Amino acid sequence: MSAVRTSSSRVGASGPTRGSGGPPRARKVRLGEPGTAWLFLTPAIVLLAGMLLYPIIYTVWVSFSDFDLSTFQPGDWIGLKNYEAVIHDPGFLQSLKVTGIYLVIALPVQLILGFAIAFLLNVEWRGRGVLRALFLIPMVVAPVVAGGVWRMLLDPLWGVVNYALGLVGIGPIEWIGDPTLAMVSLILIDSWRWTPFIVLVASAGIMALPSDVYEAARSDGASRWQTLRHVTLPLLVPVIAAAFVVRWLGAVKMFDIALAATKGGPGQATDVVNLYIYEKGFRGLEFGSASSMATIVLIITMIITFFLFRLSRYLENRW
Amino acid sequence: MVSSSRLGRAAAIGGAILATLVFLFPVIYMASISFKLPRDIFTVPPRWFSELTFDNYTSYFHQARILPRMVNTVIVAAGSAIISMVAGAMAGYALTRLRMRGAGVMAGLILASRAVPPIALVVPMFLVARRLGLTDQYITVILAYVTFLVPYVVWLMRAFFRGLPKELEEAAMLDGCSRFGAFFRIIVPCSLPGLISTMIYCIILAWEELLFALILTNDRAVTIPVAIAGIAADTENGGLWGPLAAVGVLTVLPVVIFALAVQKYLVKGLADGATKG
Repeated sequence: MSAVRTSSSRVGASGPTRGSGGPPRARKVRLGEPGTAWLFLTPAIVLLAGMLLYPIIYTVWVSFSDFDLSTFQPGDWIGLKNYEAVIHDPGFLQSLKVTGIYLVIALPVQLILGFAIAFLLNVEWRGRGVLRALFLIPMVVAPVVAGGVWRMLLDPLWGVVNYALGLVGIGPIEWIGDPTLAMVSLILIDSWRWTPFIVLVASAGIMALPSDVYEAARSDGASRWQTLRHVTLPLLVPVIAAAFVVRWLGAVKMFDIALAATKGGPGQATDVVNLYIYEKGFRGLEFGSASSMATIVLIITMIITFFLFRLSRYLENRW
Repeated sequence: MVSSSRLGRAAAIGGAILATLVFLFPVIYMASISFKLPRDIFTVPPRWFSELTFDNYTSYFHQARILPRMVNTVIVAAGSAIISMVAGAMAGYALTRLRMRGAGVMAGLILASRAVPPIALVVPMFLVARRLGLTDQYITVILAYVTFLVPYVVWLMRAFFRGLPKELEEAAMLDGCSRFGAFFRIIVPCSLPGLISTMIYCIILAWEELLFALILTNDRAVTIPVAIAGIAADTENGGLWGPLAAVGVLTVLPVVIFALAVQKYLVKGLADGATKG
């Protein structure tokens, strides 16, 4: 990045000299066009202000009010009462914990699996293109369909997974019925659905690697493993970081797979926070506490995302 | 030495084929279940070859009104994708190519909105739509989807526009094109691959969205994911595997065909967006 920065500043410095042939001011104004820029931005700004910013402000407002179910509108200002109730709600804390466990396990699993498979798919042979194309398919299976199909596959009685395990003498396993295994199942389904995305991004990154470095490594007599550890992985760090951030942005929204596959159960074992808030708000009609929980989740997500962006940017520049 | 590397190559290819089969299995399984009678679904050991039936595609479809819901989903997905593409591509262009004060802040804000969890938006959307009498209408769902599609389009298209040579529109503008003219006549046609892949990804995202649709629709505008969630919730009594699989196949099939047809663009667009974003 430092190289990019110096080159851009060089361009900036050479600008006036280059433009000295004609009238530099006029040229600058034409390229600047602040008015046009805002015109181009207007549709997006209007849409996002109305459909994103306004609802966020509204959510915060509801979170500080005593929601009136008779008028279906936020009522009196009650300060932090909703927040106090929410942070003492064991269900909410449990759902935060469940979400944390899911994220901490699922994201690394998907990243490692995705890059490993991308390396396998990178080997050149006739069927490579076909395999790559086929590998995209789970990515376009709607999460809610994925949840439903895996529920069948993991069914303790009729499921194919338990049947296959039974052939080698394991089981029967209560995939959805046992609290720990339900989380395993959720991560399994989510990884099935999302690993192909990582494979896609990783493949692009691997293909973009410079080949001369490998020739150098080979001529230095580096083994395959050494090359991977000391050449390939360091070069891929920015791609890994970018893939992680993108996957994180999707994973914090986890809702539909959990709803279709486990419904948050058994008990609260897979009750991710989005599902919990949804149930509170739209089944329990507790809009006040649902809004304070949503606000808390929003703040946590924004903070972590901010740091992840910084980290990813830092890694991108460093390597 | 040669033979060991050849062995490694064979092992890698074998691993790749195995991984692909494992990842494809659930889809194949779903397709096979969708053509089976209940008695062939609920058996141990599983029957791979059994009597073919289209019952799952016919009998249940009327009852669950799958076809109208399919139409709803198409309308909502196409509508939200088109609106988001226009707004997002223009914004992405302004943020990469036009000099303006606060461009960095604007870009930061729009990109940060990608991280906003939809759950923080659903309560007001529901309340406002209810008050305005706009629940269960296409426009409400479309506008809700715009919240996650526009930031996505801006992000992907920014990476794409950055890769286009500046001389393109400079030449057009020297020839007397306005900035808008240059954008629509030169930039848009030149970015067609990027625009197409982004649009497809938008359609897929909208096609499979569940949370907003669940909250904002209840009858006329119900989308397929909502219908599927309903059928999946019903599997408790054990009967609906066939219909669920059949609806699943019908939702996946168009997207798979679509995605494979334009695979080249899709892969390039997504990969660029993720790595150059």
